[in-house]
Amino acid sequence: MKKEHIAISLGIMCFILTFAISIQIRTVKNSNLTVSQSYEENNLRAEVLKYKERYDNAYNELEKLEKDLEEERKEASTEDTELKNLEEQIKKGNKIIGFTEVKGPGVTLTLSDSKIPTGSALVGDLNDLLVHDMDVLSVINELKNAGAEAISINDQRVIPTSSIVCGGNIITINGERIGVPFVIKAIGLPEQLAALSRPGGYLSILSDYGIVTDLKKEESITIPKYSGVIKFEYAKTINK
Amino acid sequence: MKKIRKGKVIMTVTIGLSCFVLMAVMFMQFKIVRETDITSVENMRKSDLTTELASWKQKFEETETKLNETQQMLNEYRKTEKSSEESKGLLEAELEEVNMKLGKTDVEGEGIIITLKNANSTDVKISAEDLLVIVNSLKLAGAEAISINDQRIINNTDIVYINNVFIRVNQERILEPYVIKAIGNQTYLEGGLVGTGGHIEDLKKLGHDITIEKSNKVTIKKYEKDLNIKYME
Repeated sequence: MKKEHIAISLGIMCFILTFAISIQIRTVKNSNLTVSQSYEENNLRAEVLKYKERYDNAYNELEKLEKDLEEERKEASTEDTELKNLEEQIKKGNKIIGFTEVKGPGVTLTLSDSKIPTGSALVGDLNDLLVHDMDVLSVINELKNAGAEAISINDQRVIPTSSIVCGGNIITINGERIGVPFVIKAIGLPEQLAALSRPGGYLSILSDYGIVTDLKKEESITIPKYSGVIKFEYAKTINK
Repeated sequence: MKKIRKGKVIMTVTIGLSCFVLMAVMFMQFKIVRETDITSVENMRKSDLTTELASWKQKFEETETKLNETQQMLNEYRKTEKSSEESKGLLEAELEEVNMKLGKTDVEGEGIIITLKNANSTDVKISAEDLLVIVNSLKLAGAEAISINDQRIINNTDIVYINNVFIRVNQERILEPYVIKAIGNQTYLEGGLVGTGGHIEDLKKLGHDITIEKSNKVTIKKYEKDLNIKYME
């Protein structure tokens, strides 16, 4: 009688342990974390880091030159209102495109995979609990509709050519890979931007699913500039 | 009798303890898996590393080019006299460049023209979301300028569906058929839309009438309204 007791409890424990371990193995497998340290991969890794460094150096230098250029522009136009006007338009344009860091009132919000248990009655499809590129795209679109002047996702500035692509649990924006959670910042009238959570809106649907969290109005947020280059190879301005 | 009991107690404690240790180890591992940043270079695999390398190389080269251009521009400013005609010319040239990137100039170049018409039979209409997805894939394919029914897509452009009846782009109502123009590499632009998984393919399956025309001279109009900043500085 007592022995049976022990045997059964041991059996149950073993079963639970085996179960947990097999879940774990599957998790590890799914997340592709088995880092193989092959020679080739290490080489590639080193090469990536090398270019990253070269880029960083070039970028720092560029930043310095751009500051100098801004000064020169200012100097070049000090004594002439017409030139002053030109200079200001350049500055304003660069802000709108995303070439300069900007500050202002606005909102921040976070998109992440839902923590609602999958068995919940609310959830029909497991997919609804994950953040997709369409969700990010729609939220950005709604923010623009609400008058956002500058937007960033995990500090990647949204510029005219920004596209958002989803690959597994990573989203690529501006060619940069970012993972969940996605922290979106937007500058504009906070009340209007926060009204995105109105009933029936895309954001309110996402918050029902537990994907949008932390929608906060802010008095002052800083949005970084785009650190890349916009280059036109095909389009030419038509001169009238 | 006593001996047996003692043995049992020891056994139970041992088993309990080992279970506890195992659990702790497992939780630690779960935590590690959760916290590992799969976007960092250290954890990438070969295929990802290759793309990563290509993208850093490209970024480096672009920055290098921009660096040289900025240096040149700087030199020219330094050469010219303050507030002279030449410095006016320089400022104007820079502003022109900025306006082009903003979408404030008419542009032309090779590209594609997509025409979308709703299916007659179904109730499923082409929505603002569909246009949003198409614009996004055009951008991904490197489109340099895009317009929908002559509404230029700029950084502030919103595409919304009002009451599921009509679509507004840049706060202006647009009517069917929707004509999307894009300038860029024709093959890339088209490639992102057609084929399996392409959004155009999905829309065609719903019965919508969609044509894609390649053209060597697509003309895209500028953004017509004023761009104002109120909140950011």
